[in-house]
Amino acid sequence: MTASSAAPAGEDERAQAPGHPPDVVAAVFHATSGEPHVALLVAARGADGDPVIRWSNPGACELLGLAASDLDGAPLSEIVLPPDGVRIDHLFRRERPTTSAVNVRTAVGEEVSCRMRTAPSPDGDLWTLQIQPAQSDLELVLRASAEAHEQRFKVLAERSPVPTMMSEQGMRLGHVNDALCALVGVTADRLLGTGWLNHIHRDDLERVTETAIAVLAGQEREMEARFVDTQQRVRHTDVRFTPLHTPGIGDGFVATLEDITERRAFEAQLSYQANHDSLTGLPRRNKLWDHIATVMEDPDAGLACMFLDLDNFKVVNDSLGHKAGDALLVEVARRLSGSVRPGDLVARFGGDEFVIACGTRSVEAALEVADRVLRVLSEPFVLDGVEVHPRGSIGVVLRRPDHQSPDDLIRDCDIAMYQAKSRGKGRVMVLDESARGAVYDTLTLVSDLRQAIEERRITLCYQPIMRFDEDGRRLASVEALARWQHPDRGAIAADVFVRLAEEHGLVRDLGLVVLDQACAAMARWQDELGPLAPPRMNVNLSALQMSDYQLVQAVKGTLRRHGLDPHHLCLEITESALMNDPDTASTILAQLRDHGVQVAIDDFGTGYSSLAYLRRLPVNYLKVDQSFVAELQDGHTAVARAVISLARNLGIDVVAEGVETHAQMEILDILGCPLRQGYGISTPLDDAGFVDWCRTGHPLATVGSR
Amino acid sequence: MTALALDIDTVLDGLDRMASQRPVAARIVATSNSDRTSAVGLANALGADVALAAKVMKLANSAYFGLSGKVTSLQFAVTVVGFNSVRSIATIALANLDDERLLPQGFGELSLHLAAAAGSLGPRFGTRTADGMALGLLAPLGMALLHQTDRHGYDQLVAATELGSQRFAAESIRYGICSPQLSGEALNQWHFPADMVDALRAVASGPEGALLRTSYELTARLVEPHHKKRALERLSDQRITETEASARLTAIRTDVRELRSALGL
Repeated sequence: MTASSAAPAGEDERAQAPGHPPDVVAAVFHATSGEPHVALLVAARGADGDPVIRWSNPGACELLGLAASDLDGAPLSEIVLPPDGVRIDHLFRRERPTTSAVNVRTAVGEEVSCRMRTAPSPDGDLWTLQIQPAQSDLELVLRASAEAHEQRFKVLAERSPVPTMMSEQGMRLGHVNDALCALVGVTADRLLGTGWLNHIHRDDLERVTETAIAVLAGQEREMEARFVDTQQRVRHTDVRFTPLHTPGIGDGFVATLEDITERRAFEAQLSYQANHDSLTGLPRRNKLWDHIATVMEDPDAGLACMFLDLDNFKVVNDSLGHKAGDALLVEVARRLSGSVRPGDLVARFGGDEFVIACGTRSVEAALEVADRVLRVLSEPFVLDGVEVHPRGSIGVVLRRPDHQSPDDLIRDCDIAMYQAKSRGKGRVMVLDESARGAVYDTLTLVSDLRQAIEERRITLCYQPIMRFDEDGRRLASVEALARWQHPDRGAIAADVFVRLAEEHGLVRDLGLVVLDQACAAMARWQDELGPLAPPRMNVNLSALQMSDYQLVQAVKGTLRRHGLDPHHLCLEITESALMNDPDTASTILAQLRDHGVQVAIDDFGTGYSSLAYLRRLPVNYLKVDQSFVAELQDGHTAVARAVISLARNLGIDVVAEGVETHAQMEILDILGCPLRQGYGISTPLDDAGFVDWCRTGHPLATVGSR
Repeated sequence: MTALALDIDTVLDGLDRMASQRPVAARIVATSNSDRTSAVGLANALGADVALAAKVMKLANSAYFGLSGKVTSLQFAVTVVGFNSVRSIATIALANLDDERLLPQGFGELSLHLAAAAGSLGPRFGTRTADGMALGLLAPLGMALLHQTDRHGYDQLVAATELGSQRFAAESIRYGICSPQLSGEALNQWHFPADMVDALRAVASGPEGALLRTSYELTARLVEPHHKKRALERLSDQRITETEASARLTAIRTDVRELRSALGL
């Protein structure tokens, strides 16, 4: 019997497992003993207690390089080398199999790393040893390939410029690469485990943990997180987490980081520039709005708002130049910032206006701040060698429940500031409720006016201008007078709504509506009245319209639209408005007159017209202010006489306004002023009334002798 | 010290008897040994033992794993601490390693320090942190078994030797096997992963035992004030150097604090 086919002595009996017939046991033995790829040995304890080989199969002979006859009886300790410190007899248990990592010494002295399974026979006297190389050739190849893959990945990860970290389980990192170490400025040892959490900005730690939990549950996530390096510098990163599941081990993640610190810094710079005034460095309006809105989110938070307007800033700007004006604003900003309390916000509202938001519920505390601001503000400051004492007016308002938005609060402190200004500048004013009511009232009226203009509910009435001479009286022109019938408040005086229009940017639209309606009426009258129609329509212009270069085009367009000759239109401008900017006014009026439109100076004598200008202005009429006409019958004729004389010398016609009595008429006859307008001739008439008045031969009103 | 004929089979039989008294823990160990086990399966097995489940939850929510208070499900806890940690906790229960009356003095501290050291050093040796922790936690199992078998003699042996190679040598002389190797035999019997068993068997020499040798040395430096240092480079097969010992010891101390609270050892 050869070693490859023979069983150890007495094996047949001992190998029989209870309940297994001998022929079955023999079949199993035959199949396994002849298997060349399985090394099998059977050992028994020798006389000294050490295991001795009793049998070997071809697989064992091939592995060990020894013949079965050489193996038979050999001490196992010469062939099998257990780990250091482990005695070989410990691998042989009576009642249970063991598996061990051992080295097997071959015939040529080579030590092969193997795993050895030792199974006792039922009676415990013999052990079957199944020895397998720790790794088969295929396993060696696969392992080498896996190690090569791992090495490539390791090199890739470690050399990658992308900071990378890997957790094999939970939040504990098992690997970090050089780029991450460089980002945080520490060695890998400080980041492994949970060390990396010490370098996350404390305000971000919760979010990072929440994100990691979601990733550990299998989701991919991306987030922004701040890391803090060893020098306490904050690094902004974009972190991309990917789950990493290891079967049988647990869940971890791989995270790559993108350092976006510079991008964030650039964005922060842009944001700063967007939110801060470039000249003073103070927050702008939008930042102020955000700040107030944030405070207002808490209904119980105290807030006082102060609106500061520099007094006479325009004087500095105009006299010392814009550069000096800018320097003053910078200095004011510095002083304001130094006068407020920690947590208060100073913002540049625009121009020479600043707003201070104070976190307080106490008006006394707010006034204390305001007084300190005024005191510090007024300290002298040298600008281009000139000592200036900046002054300002401050309006203060405390937040109240009816302040629903930052707009409400700032509007009220703006009102308070105007109250302070109106009471003499250089003072602090807490919002006065009655004044606030008046302002609200005005704002409502402005809103109604805007709507009335849009809906063309501004109406006109007409007052004739008559020429009186030796041939009798003739209708020379008619002045269109704007009227506004408010649905709730009744008639609003023209000087009131015109002033509101001027103050709130509505005057251009108002002027165009009036011009359009007047030209429309004129065109209609020409059709309806024929020769009885007035030869001309006078329309008033606001002072503000005299700086509107589009006025000329608008006038031309309106005339064209209504088919009127330009000479049918006369535009009236007050003397004071004319002198606001005489050069521009002169240019515009010249263009109008070149087009054929007549021009009259209204309320003449009340302003301070330069005679030199007057001579150059393209004017057709002067209208003597009614105050001079009114005093004629009291013997005060000097001004009217001088105006009439001046006009005559300049070749300009004169219209006397406000003519009410026969006495005035007679004096005007004597002074040689044939063109007259006033209640003594006709009150202003509505459209139908004017048409009737024309058709009935221009009857004079019943006037008194005085 | 005289040799004592230690019958390993008898010792392991004793372990089996203990295990039979904790069938749920035994099932957890068996479940976590299976390659096909999922976190759901292991969490289900763990859920049958409230005390063990609580320990795993506590460990998962400890600062050691960086998720304090965030782990609310047992399944998530299992994935956080890893299967090996779950198996180790169950093994501690199986072997009565949580009963101080049956253990040599200082056993709990030794176990904690070895767990923290092997967990912290693991990645340097290609071992996952949680696997290293599990290895360190169970390495002294053999020590408990020797103590139960030869209480007086083993206490004398411990008193006369330093932790580490000196003690292992003394154990081998007296019992024919040193305590980590005995741990390896016990874990082998319970079908723990082969590399864990190999690491314990190779504690005296061989590359597989380098992590555990180094962990024993650093633990000895922390728990034995007069420990005679042995070069880390040699113990660790050049993976750890003496220059980083100080930082390593600090990290291990921190981890010990966290694990002590989490594991209740």
